[in-house]
Amino acid sequence: MDDSPRQSGDRLNRNLNTTGGLYRTGGVTKFMSDAVSVFEINLLSTLRQWYLMVLLAAAFPIPWFYVTKAIAPDDPAVVRRLLAGTLVFGVAMSIGMLVGQNAVAQRFMGNLKLLITMPVSKGAYVLGTLAYSSISGVITVVMLLGFGFAAGVDVNITWGLIPSLLLTVLTMAGLTMFVVSFAPTLQVGNISTALLALVLAALSPVYFTMEQAPLLLKALGYVSPLRYAADGITKSLSGRTDILVELAVLAGFALVSMSLGLWRLPWREE
Amino acid sequence: MQAPPVDVKQLSKRYKNGVWANREISLTVEPGELLGILGPNGAGKTTLVRQITTELIPTSGEVRVFGIDAVANYNEAKGYMGVMPQEAQLYYGLSVRHHLRIFGKLRGLSGRMAARRAEELIADLRLEEHRHKRADELSGGLKRRLLIGIAALADPPLMVLDEPSAGLDPEARHDLWDLLLGYRRQGSTVLLTTHNMEEAEVLCDRVGIIQDGRLLALDTVDNLKAGHGFAYKITFDADARTETLYGASDRELVAQVQAKGIRQYAVARTTLEDVYLGLTRDKRTLDEDGAS
Repeated sequence: MDDSPRQSGDRLNRNLNTTGGLYRTGGVTKFMSDAVSVFEINLLSTLRQWYLMVLLAAAFPIPWFYVTKAIAPDDPAVVRRLLAGTLVFGVAMSIGMLVGQNAVAQRFMGNLKLLITMPVSKGAYVLGTLAYSSISGVITVVMLLGFGFAAGVDVNITWGLIPSLLLTVLTMAGLTMFVVSFAPTLQVGNISTALLALVLAALSPVYFTMEQAPLLLKALGYVSPLRYAADGITKSLSGRTDILVELAVLAGFALVSMSLGLWRLPWREE
Repeated sequence: MQAPPVDVKQLSKRYKNGVWANREISLTVEPGELLGILGPNGAGKTTLVRQITTELIPTSGEVRVFGIDAVANYNEAKGYMGVMPQEAQLYYGLSVRHHLRIFGKLRGLSGRMAARRAEELIADLRLEEHRHKRADELSGGLKRRLLIGIAALADPPLMVLDEPSAGLDPEARHDLWDLLLGYRRQGSTVLLTTHNMEEAEVLCDRVGIIQDGRLLALDTVDNLKAGHGFAYKITFDADARTETLYGASDRELVAQVQAKGIRQYAVARTTLEDVYLGLTRDKRTLDEDGAS
């Protein structure tokens, strides 16, 4: 058996001396650096299949908008609402799918076990995952707006579009993390992820206004964050900036859903 | 005076389903030693390690890592540890180099330091020809080597490895042992779990034997054998079955067997496995007596 000298103290002291306190385990710089690293892990893992990301972002929303625009009445307000609704639907679907599947896969495949051995905070992990998942959302928005312009849709974009989209992303990400945290298996997690985004987007009044909604959907509209997102985005595409109510409600949804999602994220087991 | 790398006091863990996985475990890992926790599957080894590495919150008791309360200040405690969890998986889309560089940054190294350290570790772990391979293209042994490399990224003063050799072939296992002995020579303290007796005997300065969540013994292998009166064993056939007797002296054992009129027997030094089986059988007998 090897009987070499025991130098653990030396190693500890050496590391302390060279780095002034072992290594960074906290602070804003470490937080941001960790978020970038998590983003990088996700990005590099899928970079070879980049076309799937583009397909996820564009394959459904653009044809859907094309079809609904073709059969809708030739009214700029209605078309703008359809464009806003498709933006919300597309962003909610891609964020929900990517955040949910990422959370489920990392939890059940054992990647998260490796990650949480590092001095990384939950918040940095979520920020990095969210930034990665948002790539698909950004592609959806850019391609849909580009398609809208090309198709001659009468839009006048204001500053409200970006906060409306950001708050939609945060709300969907938090809700997805919360819901999939109850999944007992990988398969159930994936089904829950798809269902949440699909049901929420399909049943919320995103393609039509609350006044046009049937009674049942009207009731759902009051508690669905996506309705406020669609209202805010419609106004932002119509040159309006009176969206503080929509932004305030969306901010409330984002705060609550992100808190629930972070609370349920399995970082340390009880 | 420097605080010990790991100091565990009266540590207990009861899961939500009511199962006690650890009961009042106390142990100290000394600086620079390689300490093995030995026990069968389900004995509570992984639960103990997960509490030390801060992944699992204890039901009661105390865990300190270099004097830091690992329950309250878990991120700070993690900064001193390199950990290889039992069921951890690599990111299959990432290459060997990507893993080491990115996890180096997550460990707290600057980007430049992480890149340099990744190159050092690729050389140390003899992964040069695999540096650009994705994790899913690596063999089981190479994956383990990379996971150990990730644990060693920040040159940590303490490494905690949960069954690092599980599922490895003999050659890969011996490679792993060389690697761990190398880390210890460089000054790291190593705490590992195993259910491989040979591994514990060859590798560890001290061995803790755990069963049913309790630490039954903690000492050097030689002291475990001597302290429990199991330095020698004698095996013989009697009444058409093979029997084994244990004792502190080989001469006494031979005399004992010869007194029974038996002339064919085999005497040998006990192995750690004999000590382990003796201890755990004693424990079972005590439990059964207590229950009755």
